[in-house]
Amino acid sequence: MKIVGRVRDEGLRRGLADVASRLGAAVVDTSGLSPDGMLEAVRAGANVVVLELEPDVDLSRVRQEAHAAGAALVVACSPEQECGEAVTAQADEWLILPVSSYELEARLRSAMQRSAGGELPPAASADLLRYQELLFDATTGTATLPTTMEQARELLERSGRLTVLYLHFFRFERLEESFGREKLDAVLKTTADALRDFCAMESTGSGSLIAIPFVFDEDFVILTATDRSTHSEPAAWLVKLSRRLEPFVRERIEREHGEQLAALATLYMGISVPEPNPRVRTERLLYRGIREAAQAARSAEHWELASRVADLKRTIRDGAVFIEYHPIIDTHTEEVYGYEALARGVRQELRSPEVLFEVAEEANLVWELSRLLRRRAVQGIIRDLSPDQRLFLNVDPHDFEDPLFRKPDPSAMGIDDPSRVVFEITERVAITDYPRFKEQLDTFRSLGFRFAVDDAGSGYAGLGSIANLAPDYIKLDISLISEIDTNFLKQNLVETLVNFAEGHGAKVVAEGVERSEEFETVRKLGVHLAQGFYFHRSNRVRRSAA
Amino acid sequence: MAKATILVVDDDPDAVEIAESYLSAQGYEVHTAYGGQEALAKLEEVQPDAVLLDVMMPEMDGWEVSRAIKNHPRFRDVRVIMFTARGDFTDKQEGLRSGADDYIVKPVRLDDLGQTVERNLEVRRRSA
Repeated sequence: MKIVGRVRDEGLRRGLADVASRLGAAVVDTSGLSPDGMLEAVRAGANVVVLELEPDVDLSRVRQEAHAAGAALVVACSPEQECGEAVTAQADEWLILPVSSYELEARLRSAMQRSAGGELPPAASADLLRYQELLFDATTGTATLPTTMEQARELLERSGRLTVLYLHFFRFERLEESFGREKLDAVLKTTADALRDFCAMESTGSGSLIAIPFVFDEDFVILTATDRSTHSEPAAWLVKLSRRLEPFVRERIEREHGEQLAALATLYMGISVPEPNPRVRTERLLYRGIREAAQAARSAEHWELASRVADLKRTIRDGAVFIEYHPIIDTHTEEVYGYEALARGVRQELRSPEVLFEVAEEANLVWELSRLLRRRAVQGIIRDLSPDQRLFLNVDPHDFEDPLFRKPDPSAMGIDDPSRVVFEITERVAITDYPRFKEQLDTFRSLGFRFAVDDAGSGYAGLGSIANLAPDYIKLDISLISEIDTNFLKQNLVETLVNFAEGHGAKVVAEGVERSEEFETVRKLGVHLAQGFYFHRSNRVRRSAA
Repeated sequence: MAKATILVVDDDPDAVEIAESYLSAQGYEVHTAYGGQEALAKLEEVQPDAVLLDVMMPEMDGWEVSRAIKNHPRFRDVRVIMFTARGDFTDKQEGLRSGADDYIVKPVRLDDLGQTVERNLEVRRRSA
C-alpha cells in the first residue's frame, strides 16, 4: 500500500508515519516537490493522497489525477473555513488539524472506501474487527459509552436536561466466582434486556439510552431525558425508581435463571443531573456526571452493608437460617448417594449463602455463622438418611482456624458416625500453610470424617495441589460441566480428572448437571456421582424434607 | 448439504500445507492463514465452520485468537480446535479459558485430525 503525502504540519507528518507503520504502508513525501512533481508521484501509483491545503495547489485537479490513478484524496485543513474548499473540490475525506493518528487512520480508511479504492491489508482489517469489538458488548448487545456519546449529546441538546443513572449490581462479582463466567454472561444479557424493557415502559417520549462503561463490564449507565420537575428532589425520585426497577430486574432473572441467582441481583443506584454549561464540552460534562453517579452508587452500597451486618447479627441470634439438601446421584444406579447441605438465610436480604458469608466476613462473624449452619445441617437430615447415604457439608478453610471446630467433637455436632460425613473444601480459597492444614485434616480423618475438594478444575489449582489434600471425593466445577456434551476439551479434562481420581482412590462428583445430555456425557466419561438442577426437576429423586 | 469450510492457521507453512491437502482431499473447503492477525482478518470473507489454530505463533498466539473468535457476536459459534505441542492439564485449562472446543496434540496424526474435525462439525450441524 502506498500513501502520497504533501504535508507541512509536524503533527500530521508524525501521525501519517504512525498510521503507515500500522497499515504496513509506504509514504512518499512530496512536500519538497513542486505541485506538478506531486502529481507525477500520484500518477506513478498510490492508494491514497494526503494533502494539506495550500494556495498553489489546484484541488480539483489533484482529485482528478488521484482518482485516475485509483487513489483516494484526503485533505487536511487548518482553520475550519478551508474545509469548504475541500468539499467543493469533492475530496473523498477532509479533516481539521490537529488530528490524532487514530482519527487520521479512520479518515484514510473511509476515504479509500468512498473512492472504492484498494482493499485494506489484512493487518488493518483484523484491527478493524477488534475495534468493532470494543464498541458493542458481545454478551449483552449493549453499546459502550464512547459509542453512545454522540446520541447522548443529541438527547441533551434536544431535551435540555439529562439525568444520569449509574447501576451497580455488586454481587455479580460473587455470582461469577461461584457459577462461572458463562453464567454471569447470561445473567447480564437478561439484565440488559430487562433494563431495555423497563426504560421503554417508563420512557416519556424523549427516550433514554442504556450503555455500559466498557465491553464486558457489569455496570450499566442509563441516560434519560427528564423535565425540570423531576429534579426538584432527585434523591427521592431515585428511591422511588429503584423500588420498581430492582424487583423488575430480579423477577426477570428469577424467571430465566432461578431463585438462587436472582438473590444475588442486588442493585445499587446513583444519580446525577449534570448542569448544562456552554463553556463546558458536553462530552466531558456527561463523563463527569457518570463518575459522580458511580460514586453515589458506591456510597449507597456501603451504607446498606452496614445495615445488613445488623440483620446478620439478628439472624445468628434467632437462628434464622434454613438448610436445603441437594441430592447427589450415583450415575450407575441413579440412586441417591447422599445430600449436600446448602444454607439459606430466612430474611429476604440474606437469602443466598454467598450474601450470608459476605456479610459475615464484613462483621467478623464467620465462625459463629459456620457453627450455626453446621449444627442445623446435621440436625435437619441425619435421622432421615439411610445407613449407606452420606451428608456433604461445606467448610471454609478459615473454619479450621476456629478453636471450637479445630477440636472436633462428633457427638457435640450430633454426628454418631463421622464416616458418613464429608467435608467439602473449596479449591478457590488459597491455602497458605499446607503442612499445618494437612495436619488439621488428619485430626478429622482419624475420627473417620471424609473430605472432598470442591470446585476442582475451575482453574485455581492444578492436579498437584488436589493430590496434596488426598481427598475422598473430587467435585468438578460447574464451569467444566455446563455444555460438556458439545465441548471435547471439557470432556477430555473430565476424563483426565476421573483417571487421576481412580489412581488416588477417590470418587468424582459432577456438579451443576442441568440437562440430560450433560448427564449422559459425564456418565459415559466414568464420573461416579452427579448433582444439579437436572435431578431436582426430574422425578428421579424425591427431595428429602429437612 | 454445502461443504463445510475450514480455516487452518499456523505460522509453519509445512504444517499448513499438510493439513490443507489432507482436509481438501476429505472434501472440505479449506482456507489458510499464517498468523493470528491474518486469521481474524479472514473470518468475514471465509465464514468458516471450524478454525484449526496453532497455539504457538509469534505476535498473537492461538489462545488470543480463540478468545477473539469466541467473544465475537457473529463468530462465537465457530468451532475452534487448537494444535498444542504438549496437551497437558494446564494447557487444556488455558484452552478452556480461551473458549476452545477441542484440541489436537502435535505432531498431528492425520486420521486423528480427520476425526476431530468431523466430530466438531457434527456438533455445529446439530446446533444449526
